[in-house]
Amino acid sequence: MLRCSPSIHPGSRLFSTTPAFLANPIKAKRPDPNSSGPQKGVKSLKIKKKNTLRSAGRPPAPGERKALRKRIVLSNTNALEVKGMQDLSNDNMADKQIQGTVVGLPGPLVDQLRAAEAFRTGQGWGLFRRPGVLMRENSLEIARDLQDVVSGKKTLRRIYTGERGSGKSVVLLQAIAMAFLKDWVVVTIPEASQNRIAQDLTNAHTEYAPLSSSTTTPSQYVQRAYTASLLSRISKANSAVLSDLKVSLSHKLRIPIQPGTSLSHLADLGVRDPDIAWPIFQALWGELTSTKAARPPIMLTLDGLGHIMRDSQYRDPAFKPIHAHDLTIARHFVDHLSGVRSLPNGGAVLAATSASNVPFAPSLALAIDQRLHPTTSASSPSPSSSSSLSSSQQMPVWRKPVQRNPFMTYDERVLQSITPDLEIVELQGLTREEARGLMEYYAASGMLRHRVDESFVTEKWTIAGGGIVGEIEKASVMGPRV
Amino acid sequence: MVFILGVNFPEQRLVKRALESFYGVGPSISLRLMAKFHIHPTARVGEIATKQVTDLTAELSSMTIENDLRRRLRDNIKRLRDMGTYRGRRHAMGLPVRGQSTQTQISTARKLNKIERKG
Repeated sequence: MLRCSPSIHPGSRLFSTTPAFLANPIKAKRPDPNSSGPQKGVKSLKIKKKNTLRSAGRPPAPGERKALRKRIVLSNTNALEVKGMQDLSNDNMADKQIQGTVVGLPGPLVDQLRAAEAFRTGQGWGLFRRPGVLMRENSLEIARDLQDVVSGKKTLRRIYTGERGSGKSVVLLQAIAMAFLKDWVVVTIPEASQNRIAQDLTNAHTEYAPLSSSTTTPSQYVQRAYTASLLSRISKANSAVLSDLKVSLSHKLRIPIQPGTSLSHLADLGVRDPDIAWPIFQALWGELTSTKAARPPIMLTLDGLGHIMRDSQYRDPAFKPIHAHDLTIARHFVDHLSGVRSLPNGGAVLAATSASNVPFAPSLALAIDQRLHPTTSASSPSPSSSSSLSSSQQMPVWRKPVQRNPFMTYDERVLQSITPDLEIVELQGLTREEARGLMEYYAASGMLRHRVDESFVTEKWTIAGGGIVGEIEKASVMGPRV
Repeated sequence: MVFILGVNFPEQRLVKRALESFYGVGPSISLRLMAKFHIHPTARVGEIATKQVTDLTAELSSMTIENDLRRRLRDNIKRLRDMGTYRGRRHAMGLPVRGQSTQTQISTARKLNKIERKG
């Protein structure tokens, strides 16, 4: 047994009996900074940077970003004003003199085209001082055809097709512009609009309901919201013409229509109440095609034809896809395009395929291919045609006859809707003269800083795959500057 | 706010998502349900008509979903256990039922396989 004896030195102890737990705790070992590998429980991978700048502003409101994306800019204040540019008018639209020149679109017409949603994003309108269009051969052709329609009260039915950037939508826009100048009634189903995309007709993004009055099989479906937006487009774009036309027939509608109501007001009734939009559209169409009163010709256009030439994304109660032709608006258009329904006061039904937003519609592709390259003329070209080749024409090539793919199922309804008397126009590249006119316009606008001479035009024309107008634009004003 | 089968949904909620919040309604069933009453896939709860809401509720209440479906699941497991089958025993033991190895990685079986399975 130990005994503590009084120490010689009073402040020090020889031996301590203090329990261990009173001692200071042992300090935790600090991690060795040189040791390899991460410590346990410490995240070693830091992808996020520490001092990232966070925007202080609020995130954009719903729909704001889409509005910005779909915004259509028609003017560039930095571009020069082109001196001596003619405006498109009723008098000069079919004039042979203006072929190959760019003509301006007058202000009120631009407003109408905007209301009809004829402009598309990505068409380069925002590069120039004001909207202008190149009068190419197809433009003059359609101007002449519209004159024939007026004189003969015929219906022009045509599909524009062609490769990407070949100007299908712009030719459609030119036709719409000409129809506005001639005071026609224009009904457009655009491919890409601010509010409703043409795909919206079939991509199941708007409401649908079975048509109560339809007794046919398969049953028809009506899209009330889309019809209301269509009526709004018709009413806004054609307000001047429609406000002068009065109701002449008696209509059985849920709301009473006073005799003497203007057609513009009739359309607005449908805009206000989407529930009756489809009956109102039918009533409006009945009025426009009535032969009892004086009615102007009608222009009916649709961009992105492939979207309505296949099954839609909508489903019927049995969960089977609804064919696009069973949707009332698409049906209305297809009936007029194929000639099942006619326009007694004359008019034009024009459609354009899309090459940048291509839906899978093999039946339409087959129908168009068969019409453009019939099997009978696939033989070698006759000597007379080869001798008269101009610079713009391509050398005739032997093509494999268009045949059905045995492994593909085709849609007979679509094949039948492309009737033999329906015109199909394949847009080719511009001629060199037209390309030169276009480039001179670019240069005069200050957007192309190069002398426009023969070699330059030829170079760009060739780069653009033989004058494909979208490619000419890309090569000369949109692409890398040379 | 819209009531579907006694549940309150905000108006901006997608109908598809609202339907899929019920146990037993997945992507396929919800699309079929919506097609049955002509509701497009991007419709919001506030946009559809009152008739369609009542139709949906009536249809949902006639289906085996939610607690009925959970009960059916439990009954199925219980039946297997009562018969004394291998599957029943494995469920009761909280082990994989379909011949998986059990040396590692059976956390899902431990979590789910029980007589009183939650869902």
